[in-house]
Amino acid sequence: MTALDPAEIRALDAILEELDYYQVLELVPGAPTSAIRSAYHQASRRFHPDGHRARHPELQPPLARISKRVAEAYSVLRDPRRRQVYDRQLAADRNTLRMPLVQAEAEADRQRREAREGRTPNGRRYFALAQRDLASGNHVAAERNLRTALTFEPDNALFRETLAQLKKR
Amino acid sequence: MAVGIDLGTSNSCVAIARRGRIEVLANAYGESICPSVVHFAEDGAIEVGNRAKSRAIHDPEHTITAAKRLMGRYYFSEEVKKAKAVSSYQIVEGPNHAVRVKVRDSVLAIPEVSALVLREMKQVAEAALGEPVTQAVVTVPAYFNDNQRQATRDAGRIAGLEVLRLLNEPTAAALAYGFGRGLAQRVAVYDLGGGTFDISILEIGSDVFEVLSTCGDTFLGGEDFDDRVIDWLADDFLARHKINLRHDRFALEKLKAAAEAAKKTLSVDDEAHIQIEDVAKDPAGGSLSVDRRLSRQEFGALVGDLVQRTFKVCDEALQQANLTVRDLDGVILVGGPTRLPLIREAVSQYFQCEPKAEVDPDQVVAMGAAIHAAALVGDERDSCLLDVTPLSLRIGVAGGLAETVIERNTPVPIEQTSVFTTFRDYQQSVRIRVYQGEVRIEVTFEIDTDGIVQVTARDPDTGQAASTQIHLSSGLTEDEIRTLVEKHQAEPGATAAQRPAPPPARAPVAAPLSPDGDDDLTALDEEVAGLGDEPLDVGDEELPGLRGDPAPLEEEAAADGGVDQEFDALDPASMEEAAEAVAPESDGGAGREVEFDEAALEAAPEPEAGPDGEFEPSQLDVDAEAGDGGAAGREIDLDAEPSHASPAALDEMEAVGSGELDPLAMDLDEADLDSLVDLADDATAVHEMPPDAITRPRGEEPAAARRPAADVDDIDLFDAPGSDLSRYHDDGEPPHGDS
Repeated sequence: MTALDPAEIRALDAILEELDYYQVLELVPGAPTSAIRSAYHQASRRFHPDGHRARHPELQPPLARISKRVAEAYSVLRDPRRRQVYDRQLAADRNTLRMPLVQAEAEADRQRREAREGRTPNGRRYFALAQRDLASGNHVAAERNLRTALTFEPDNALFRETLAQLKKR
Repeated sequence: MAVGIDLGTSNSCVAIARRGRIEVLANAYGESICPSVVHFAEDGAIEVGNRAKSRAIHDPEHTITAAKRLMGRYYFSEEVKKAKAVSSYQIVEGPNHAVRVKVRDSVLAIPEVSALVLREMKQVAEAALGEPVTQAVVTVPAYFNDNQRQATRDAGRIAGLEVLRLLNEPTAAALAYGFGRGLAQRVAVYDLGGGTFDISILEIGSDVFEVLSTCGDTFLGGEDFDDRVIDWLADDFLARHKINLRHDRFALEKLKAAAEAAKKTLSVDDEAHIQIEDVAKDPAGGSLSVDRRLSRQEFGALVGDLVQRTFKVCDEALQQANLTVRDLDGVILVGGPTRLPLIREAVSQYFQCEPKAEVDPDQVVAMGAAIHAAALVGDERDSCLLDVTPLSLRIGVAGGLAETVIERNTPVPIEQTSVFTTFRDYQQSVRIRVYQGEVRIEVTFEIDTDGIVQVTARDPDTGQAASTQIHLSSGLTEDEIRTLVEKHQAEPGATAAQRPAPPPARAPVAAPLSPDGDDDLTALDEEVAGLGDEPLDVGDEELPGLRGDPAPLEEEAAADGGVDQEFDALDPASMEEAAEAVAPESDGGAGREVEFDEAALEAAPEPEAGPDGEFEPSQLDVDAEAGDGGAAGREIDLDAEPSHASPAALDEMEAVGSGELDPLAMDLDEADLDSLVDLADDATAVHEMPPDAITRPRGEEPAAARRPAADVDDIDLFDAPGSDLSRYHDDGEPPHGDS
């Protein structure tokens, strides 16, 4: 496909373990979702082993390693939920550059759930009770339950927001 | 020269791309479509293609059709059973549950049969091109699993071809459709072949073809349509003449040919006239024939459910790609059966657009393969094919469950690492089972006021379910209890506690209890609960109904060196994962385990339960020490034989090393393959080959290959018998928490 510089491939292969997914796809960390697919295509045009099989058989192993990492980066970054989890992981620890896909999935599920229902068992429980009270119009009980939920998760934005809205009424 | 070969269930096709043109190559008779049929004559001659197909009617036993359906499958699988029911040739069991076909005096592995078809395609290409052909891209159904792919690769090698790549059929079709046209489209490829159905959603760019998702059914195709017509004819004949034509191989072969012809007629005409002269004799010796008319409408009714099955698969593929039909720019039809107006109409309706007309459904796959072959050897301008893995790859964990490592529809090539730990002290080896496929099992725990635990396992895809009661208190089987009831009634004076429970083997079968005998049983339950101090072995009782077949192979790898102990990670063991999987919200329950043994049940007949009586299974540790001392737990074996609709079968293969698949899995090893490659040069030699020449005896593997890492003895690759409960592991809660 595109002309290829064997030295560049070997150099990239050598530093593969030091690159985060954005660097693998040559993206800036805030890149829009639409840019991710084209970055994946561009990287595949350059590094997919098939494209260089005839001319550079000796480069197949490094190209395969690079392509695997490209596919992995794409699998995480194209999925907004996985990407969010990955971004947090990267922010927390600059040295954890990879993330198992399944873990990313499970973590995204967990985070989504926590965002919707609360992070701690008791927080979830009282928040659920508060929602039930709200649905049945029992605002006093709802406020009490929300406050209790907030004692378990003082920084929970959803709980605070719900309480603030309740107070407005 | 490198060619592209579409190795189909019913027909095969070979093409080449050169000087910017794609040519489908025809044989000496001008036929560009070659039936994948092999005939073995009495004198040892082997014929492939139309000549072989025409022999089927007179010599069905020695004519092998649709071998691809058996490719990479295990003898005990549902698919092979189905194939046996409709095949006129003999399908026999080979070593390691492999499938073999027996023709005349020789027994052939399936890759050998397919190799004969591939060799025919190679020869057709060589004759058409006037030069040797040694390399090929061979296509496979996208939904083929690893076993089936390995078998196809083996077939190529036996045929004397270097298989440059196994290309997914729908991907090949999309490549042929979009190649060099500078398109920017999102299309569905609806590939209904002779034996398999695939659907792939692709994004086609000017030089990049990205598969967004792929789904399929490896046992659904035109042959199934034929079978429906055959059944219809045979049932009708049975009703009219009280003769079952299915029992007559020759008559069945005639029905097959007539059914296929009728199907083809219905692609053009509104009605097919099926006439088979002299298909059977009446008791008086008179000749009976079949004379029926089949209208398009009747045909539609016969195969309607099969067509609907394909759209279920399409739904899944769209869902996996996060798309709806409105997001698609078109649909490409691939495979002979898509010529049927019935299919075309249903497809247009489903995808809300007319299928792309510029594609020849019989040749497009071979053409795509040829384009890719040329690109791989550097002859032609190249397109970047970005494919995905059709099936999830999972690893078996303690308790018979499996954890996903690579999800389906992940782009390939890909590499993932998972970390596991041993689950017992002093464990020195690990058995790693690798599963491929999507079987999911729901496990539901119930506990009633008597403290009786009911476990129900259900396959959500098919609704197939099985349940069992766990009597941890008594550990007695129904038969044992009945025996005790009998004894108890015979000797009213004696108390149960004075008698040990009879071992199951010696237990005479008691007379059936009256329908209201349940009361007696309940009453007795309490008494027998106190029997003996030894936990009773309830054995490896299986859930009835979930497993129809022999257990998956568990070939113990011969441990060498210092490894003197081996544990099967999937022993009748911990059901903890299953329990956690369905755990309702259990506050702070993690890590807390309450022994739920017989003592606990006796001491506290009311089990730990939530305020509203909800049972919290995460607090139970149903795990029992599964050793020689007898297990108090009960193994719920979820090695479910999946439904036909689900892609998985109880296929198993072994692999060694760090995830690298063992080519021996298809029970053809390197040496065998080489010898087959040699033998294949001489057609008759295949006949003379002793059946065991293609079988590698267990334990003769090269030691180096068998022992890759210190702790890994053995990696079994299963095709999906496990369940996909892995996502429950992290937090012990159902995946999406939409409770």
